[in-house]
Amino acid sequence: MQGVLAAFRELDAAVHAIEELRSKRLGDLTIYTPTPRHEFEDALGHPSSGVRKFTLVGGLLGVTFGYWIAIWTSEYWPLIVGGKAIASWIPYTIIGFEVMVLVGALSTVFGMFYLARIPRLTMTVGYDPRFSHGDYGIFVAAAPDKFSSVEEVLRRHGAAEVRGER
Amino acid sequence: MATLARPEGGQGDAYRRPNIASADVQLPAVRDYEQVDNEIIATMKPTGGWFAGLGLAIACMLIGASAWVYQIYWGLGQAGYNPPLMWGVYIITFVFWVGIGHAGTLISAILYLFRAGFRTTIYRVSEAMTVFAVMTAGLFPIIHIGRPWKFYWLIPYPNWRLIWPNFKSPLVWDVFAISTYLTISTTFLYIGLIPDIAVLRDRETNPVRKRIFSILSLGWRNSDREWRHFARAYLFLAAFSTPLVLSVHSVVSFDFAMGLTPGWHASIFPPYFVAGAIFSGFAMVWTIAIPMRRWFGLRHYITLNHLDATAKVVLFTSLVVGSAYLIEFFIAWFSGVPAEIEYFYNRVFGQWWWSAWILLICNMVFPLSLFSQKLRRNTTWLFILSIIINIGMWYERFVIVVPSLTHEFEPWQWSGYVPSWVDMCFLVGSFGWFFMWFLLFCKQLPVFALAEIKEIIPPKLRESHKHDDHIDVTGRHQPYERNVPGEFA
Repeated sequence: MQGVLAAFRELDAAVHAIEELRSKRLGDLTIYTPTPRHEFEDALGHPSSGVRKFTLVGGLLGVTFGYWIAIWTSEYWPLIVGGKAIASWIPYTIIGFEVMVLVGALSTVFGMFYLARIPRLTMTVGYDPRFSHGDYGIFVAAAPDKFSSVEEVLRRHGAAEVRGER
Repeated sequence: MATLARPEGGQGDAYRRPNIASADVQLPAVRDYEQVDNEIIATMKPTGGWFAGLGLAIACMLIGASAWVYQIYWGLGQAGYNPPLMWGVYIITFVFWVGIGHAGTLISAILYLFRAGFRTTIYRVSEAMTVFAVMTAGLFPIIHIGRPWKFYWLIPYPNWRLIWPNFKSPLVWDVFAISTYLTISTTFLYIGLIPDIAVLRDRETNPVRKRIFSILSLGWRNSDREWRHFARAYLFLAAFSTPLVLSVHSVVSFDFAMGLTPGWHASIFPPYFVAGAIFSGFAMVWTIAIPMRRWFGLRHYITLNHLDATAKVVLFTSLVVGSAYLIEFFIAWFSGVPAEIEYFYNRVFGQWWWSAWILLICNMVFPLSLFSQKLRRNTTWLFILSIIINIGMWYERFVIVVPSLTHEFEPWQWSGYVPSWVDMCFLVGSFGWFFMWFLLFCKQLPVFALAEIKEIIPPKLRESHKHDDHIDVTGRHQPYERNVPGEFA
């Protein structure tokens, strides 16, 4: 991937640069921030995360499995005590609940990994260690012929450093 | 992360509030992100005191490990059990450590959902405490079964005779609850650590440690895509953990409440156990965090406001458990069951009076001091009180387990109980095991959440604006409500 990477020291400068880059449609943006900020979410306008779907599917699978394992094993090896029901759903709710939480939470984590594209084996282009420390980064994926106009926008908004990445 | 508190009323130029509920969380002495990284990463440098503490913890752990080897060789008879009393220090300590583990998830999940800002600087410490406390607790049922190598029989796996665990048994519920809790709290801790490990990776110069941090950080780059999914996943993990916290100690209480034994067969047990767990867990947070903030010189991170807020939680839970103790006496009297009445009389005036009075004084009387704001903000007193509460809560479990089993329905069954030296070694060993892991953790990974603390520090701006002027950090003129409860200090 090729593009232009810029580091910003100030939050408002980075936000203003994002707004202008988006309005001019100069390329896809990737923002780096040491801590999540609403200002970036709003400036980028991305839809909300799809992790919830993984959570829902995992939770439903978990609760189904929890009840199923308890009921199936009771029916498989029945212990009839005082004529009571062999499969008793009330105590099995505890198993169903715990397995729902277990599978639902693990599938949430899986969903996050999948959607966020981690684990990432290589850092590739467009990253600088300072982005985990305190600076904000903007990477604009653009063709080389647009580099100059992207750099101009970034520098005008006060980027501390701008460099081309190929 | 805390920024998920998206303000009501829409996005963009609509009605906005700051990123995080900031009640009592302001850190005026913390100026910028660089200071956060420098000061918190500096805590990871080993010191002489740390080595001494680790050595002591390992020595205690080895005492417990030796006792375990001795017990495996000579059998469970070494545990001081005296039939019909077949639950002793192991089960008491198991319940004690499970309870300790609850405050961590309460702080990291429940208080997160409630946007209680005071959690920010203490949640990592308490989350780590949770994981290690549950790891400690999990050992005790395995020790207690006498043949620890058979512990996996409680897990439903298809063995060759298709013999399955009895899912109607509270002991099987326990296995599911505790193992789920351990898995989820470990996952929650690790997921929260990923951005912080990325910070360590980027600053590390030692190639071996850099490689380890690179693997552990999973290639985290702090991109907007990662944060977006991370924040949502963190919210859902918190949402799952919240009922899990309440369920786990409820399930532990079912170990007792499902029995017909006098003193156990009470419907009040689940909420009473949950409140007690939070009470003891917060006390353990003090036991750890108060020395830590002093030794690491981080009083400006865990401020008196934070401790004051936690003290209010402790006071509240103390009142809840205190009420539960009194309600137990009332229910025993009101039930009219002679065995129940006899048991509760015996609890305070009979054979076990000393343990019950330790419990009542430690858990009901001393915490009342927290009504005084002066004492809530006195770290020395809070530390002493944390020890008192932990002793009281261990005795709470003692009072539940021992007097009930030694004083059941039939007088010919009444017996006594004296913990053996093996029991005591396991108790000492459990503290050694817990603190060993904790001390190792706090020198390998940050015990304060770097990314979340940065979230509550005002960001560096090109044009300085004031929040008070209804202008947000990006310079937009957007009004937000002042004095919203929980939003401003």
